[in-house]
Amino acid sequence: MDFHSLLDLAPSILASALRTATPIALAAYSGVLAERAGVVNIAIEGMMLMAAMVGDLVMLYSGSIWLGVIAGVLSAGLLALVHGALSITFKTDQIISGTAINIFATGFTGFFYKRFLATPTLSRPSPSTLQPIKIPLLGDIPVLGDVFFQNRPIVYLMLILTGVIFYVLFYTPWGLRVRSVGEHPQAADTVGINVFKVRYISIFLSGLVAGLGGVWFSLEQVGHFDMLMTNGKGFIGLAAMIFGKWNPLGALGAAVMFGLPEALQINLAMSFPDIPYQFMSMIPYILTIIVLTGVVGRAIAPAADGKPYEKG
Amino acid sequence: MPLALEARNITKRFPGVLANDKVNFQLEQGEIHALLGENGAGKTTLMNILYGLYKADDGEVLVDGKSITLSDPRDAIKHGIGMVHQHFMLVPVMTVAENVMLGTEESTPRSSFLGPLSRLNIRAVEDKIRALSTRYGLIVNPSDYVLLLPVGVQQRVEIIKALYREARILILDEPTAVLTPQEARDLFNIMRSLVAQGVSIVFITHKLKEVLAIADRITVMRAGHVVGSTTPAQTSEAQLAAMMVGREVILEVEKGEAKPGAPVLKVEALNVLDDRKTPAVRGVSFEVRAGEVLGIAGVQGNGQTELVEAITGLRKVESGHVYMGVDDQVNHSPRQIFEHGTAHVPEDRQRHGLVLSYPVRDNLVLITYYRPPFSKKGVIEEDVVAQNAARLIEEFDIRTPGAETLVQTLSGGNQQKVIVARELSRSVKLLVAAQPTRGLDVGSIEFIHHRIVEQRDAGSAVLLVSAELDEILALSDRVAVMYKGEILDILPIQEATRERVGLLMAGVHEAR
Amino acid sequence: MTATAEVREPGKAQALLYRGGIPVLAVLVALLIGGLAMWASGSDPFVAYKGLIDGAFLKPRAFDETLVATSPYLFLALGVGFGFKCGLFNIGVEGQYYIGQITSVWVAVNLVGLPLAIHLPLTILAGMLGGAAWAAVPGFLKVRFGAHEVITTIMLNYVSFFLADYLVGLKGPMRDPQASVPQSKPILTSAQLPRFNELPAMMASPMTRIVTALLLGISLYLLVRLIVRYGFGGRFRRTNQWITLAIGLVLTVGVWVLLGNLTALGWAFTDKASRLHVGIILALAMAALMWWLLYKTAFGFEVRTVGANRDAAGYAGINITRNMVLAMAISGALAGLAGTIEVIGLERVLKSFFSAGYGFDSIAIALLGNNDPIATIPSSLLFGALRNGADLMELRSGVSKQMISVVQALILMFVAAPAVIRWIFRIKAPHGEKAITVTSGWGK
Repeated sequence: MDFHSLLDLAPSILASALRTATPIALAAYSGVLAERAGVVNIAIEGMMLMAAMVGDLVMLYSGSIWLGVIAGVLSAGLLALVHGALSITFKTDQIISGTAINIFATGFTGFFYKRFLATPTLSRPSPSTLQPIKIPLLGDIPVLGDVFFQNRPIVYLMLILTGVIFYVLFYTPWGLRVRSVGEHPQAADTVGINVFKVRYISIFLSGLVAGLGGVWFSLEQVGHFDMLMTNGKGFIGLAAMIFGKWNPLGALGAAVMFGLPEALQINLAMSFPDIPYQFMSMIPYILTIIVLTGVVGRAIAPAADGKPYEKG
Repeated sequence: MPLALEARNITKRFPGVLANDKVNFQLEQGEIHALLGENGAGKTTLMNILYGLYKADDGEVLVDGKSITLSDPRDAIKHGIGMVHQHFMLVPVMTVAENVMLGTEESTPRSSFLGPLSRLNIRAVEDKIRALSTRYGLIVNPSDYVLLLPVGVQQRVEIIKALYREARILILDEPTAVLTPQEARDLFNIMRSLVAQGVSIVFITHKLKEVLAIADRITVMRAGHVVGSTTPAQTSEAQLAAMMVGREVILEVEKGEAKPGAPVLKVEALNVLDDRKTPAVRGVSFEVRAGEVLGIAGVQGNGQTELVEAITGLRKVESGHVYMGVDDQVNHSPRQIFEHGTAHVPEDRQRHGLVLSYPVRDNLVLITYYRPPFSKKGVIEEDVVAQNAARLIEEFDIRTPGAETLVQTLSGGNQQKVIVARELSRSVKLLVAAQPTRGLDVGSIEFIHHRIVEQRDAGSAVLLVSAELDEILALSDRVAVMYKGEILDILPIQEATRERVGLLMAGVHEAR
Repeated sequence: MTATAEVREPGKAQALLYRGGIPVLAVLVALLIGGLAMWASGSDPFVAYKGLIDGAFLKPRAFDETLVATSPYLFLALGVGFGFKCGLFNIGVEGQYYIGQITSVWVAVNLVGLPLAIHLPLTILAGMLGGAAWAAVPGFLKVRFGAHEVITTIMLNYVSFFLADYLVGLKGPMRDPQASVPQSKPILTSAQLPRFNELPAMMASPMTRIVTALLLGISLYLLVRLIVRYGFGGRFRRTNQWITLAIGLVLTVGVWVLLGNLTALGWAFTDKASRLHVGIILALAMAALMWWLLYKTAFGFEVRTVGANRDAAGYAGINITRNMVLAMAISGALAGLAGTIEVIGLERVLKSFFSAGYGFDSIAIALLGNNDPIATIPSSLLFGALRNGADLMELRSGVSKQMISVVQALILMFVAAPAVIRWIFRIKAPHGEKAITVTSGWGK
């Protein structure tokens, strides 16, 4: 694989990486939204799975992909509220309640898949995925245009969210309050901020964003739901969040880093034909572990992350 | 003139405890009113009710003569009540300005239509803070990160937070707990200046001397109800103490002359870093002899915590020596240090000293469980553990329904007694006691002081670290003062006057 | 505040009722909600649940299969529970399970010419070591670098899946060239875990019979000693040592007699179609061993203290690193053992990867039993029954097996948040109750 052909391929690899990074980045943003308010959310995987299934289900019965997207996103938000109730009101250990949500989602989606989706009585719209949208003018720019302005809708939404979340979190009153609740909920309480309300809203938003990541799988990438199709991306997203220091910009960079191996898979397989494909598949997961050991920078979570808030 | 703040018949119950029992409290306009009581008397509960953090079960609150409802701090703030808590309510990773504006954020004019999603107007807030700063003499820099500010400055930020919200009534909860005597005097001056500008102040404390120095009126609480009100002119320390506790209190600790022997602990040129990797202990040297109490005085945060952790093996030592006899114990494990005859009553009893979810019985063998007679070949001898527990509960008068009771249900005083029983029930060469009576009731304090003196008389060396100057002066034979990681001076008790030690605690010392 | 506090201890019976009652109520409510969900989706919950019960217990050979399903659950839940006791959340049991299968099958297939008495224990050991190593790594990474074990172990799960897939796959070194599907070569008979119906034939050999009787006899003797020393509130503690020894001897002889007459017992011993293997016995023995280890030894005290209060453990002189890594290793060894038992007792060949989903279930099982090894036994039995009965339930009522996952998730939720059950049933909490907390946040 010589240098020139690598250069030629670079835009398509980058575009590919942006695409594979999308679900990871959305998972990471979901994590950021929740953890900045002090709620640990390891149920992102389950929420994504739920959204993917519900999205496909609604698309099948309504004939509209976008309706499926909305339904999927909302279903994840609903699931997030359950996690929120368990963690915030009932003060369950947040890792355990997150795990319960994951188990529930696995069972629930599997159940519905077998009942309605494996052998559907209706047919899905054709095509059953969201199509790429080329932005006029900007899409014609060489290189940059190919990478950034000829993507499918959810990728655009992800990029927009990056900026929005960054702005809201660090430049607005709402963001200030969220961060205070995540760092020192008692201090927030004493100035009259309703810690529970802020956390509930945050976890709901977290669910919505996870839901967007989930429908990416079934409605933008594949075209239908498969059992367990999220394949651990929800957890990799958490690693991206940690690596990105709970900041959406950093998380995006991390997500691209995690997405690259998958984007390069074909190229890598061609360059190294002797290595079995399973080892290539392992790379993102091993990379995650390396990141977590802080080899590339130790991260400090919001101070009250994971601790239920008790008044008084 | 109507009362600035009044609490009428306030009653508040918690599970198992009547924290406030028909409490009446009156704050006149422009006065400094001290609320006195020992730990657990209900003072903080009352103030939390007045600030809207708790809801009273019964009773009413009046501001300027009018009855008000307080469902959360917002209501209190609306009525001009501000509170400075004992443990600061500041977000460490945010700046002064961000902390001050939290909850009452200001938006830039162009974006304000977006409400909570508008752009924060930090500049305007900073300007306001500077104005308040100058007006009240509370100097702070709005763009500093709270994390990096010294404790005295953090307290100023808390006061500014209240003033920013136009508080006319200020509640200060144990404000001098974290200040040197000089800083406390500065605070009193600020309080007087606030009062001169029309603010009325309640301040909660358990320190008798302060109360007599600064208060216009004093109200004493005990076990949930008000015992009485008086003025400094009409009372004395002894009287106030008696009101606080309900009986005659001996304010002095009875102890005989010390008979110091050979040095047991010799610390030489010790250097230790804190959690943020900045030097906390800088070149400290001292020794403690058998049969004497060396007290280390100093406001919290000057390296005492790190010093104790280094000596007891809980923290890494960068350089220096800690000699126990002839052995250098630097960076030895806590177990090795304990096996060489050191006992440690830790500063944070619930974090380090006890496992709250374990029964009393297990906590009493927390250090020794692995050795005979408590363990044989790795298997725990439950009979021996039980006998040990029964013996210690009796000997140390630990009030508990049984040895099986979980330690978390015990009162603070009894929890501390468990730790003390555990540490003092073996013969030790060195006893390290850090903040041993923090947050305890008077009875427990007396008990523990008595035990410490007992250990000293039995020939142990005692290293006492405390932020309560009174405790240091009552128990020590020699007094060392720690300031910013260094031992500024070590004085024999006869020369350790409050003034001299106070100056040292503030960093002022004669050139050596 | 506490100066005026009155501490009223709940009675011992009351506390026990609360302890045991909540899990039972949690299960019942979860089953109820499951039933409602079935009804809402058009199936008959009564038919479904009857199918479940028949499939788990009542049909011929059903109980055998339930026990077969229980034994990996028990090992896994013991592993997860041990980790929890040390404050570690080992979700990686599923990956450690597979690694245990890989290492044990390698030993079982490749070490030719060894007698059963050596090969079998070696195989089991290999499985345990594999699982232990796979868990010790994240354990070490947590202590040294603060890497949160939830994510690292889940990542290693995926790595183990791919690894297993590769090893028995098309280009894999462990693949059986003669098989039509990707799988390993069959394990040698000397490494097979005996099934109950294989035992009578094995016991025909006097040597095997005596050795087995001795092994069982010693284990029973130890069990009797445990019960005598700690059971019944210590009433029998003063029993003479010789009496327990005599009891042990009697039991050994009795076992020897029994082993020669297994066919008379019928049941799984004579049923050629039963898959019940001795793994369940091993699992029960492991439960007893873990109980003793955790509550009666100094090591167990250390592990529990690290889990209960890490700071106090450090102050008490406990080596936190050593204990955490060891706890993870033990946890992983148990998980590896689960995988080993499954493969050498049932399939006897390593098949290409497919996720049995045991990992998350075992978390629910461990928490249902409050991480106590003995309470984990009925808890595992419940889940084993649910898993086994689900097939018949699906057959009879059309309710898919996935519903069981939903029920399991609900059980987990209710157990982890006793407050929910209390709120439903208006039960007051005993003084000082805390919901289970395992970890808080990331990093150290």
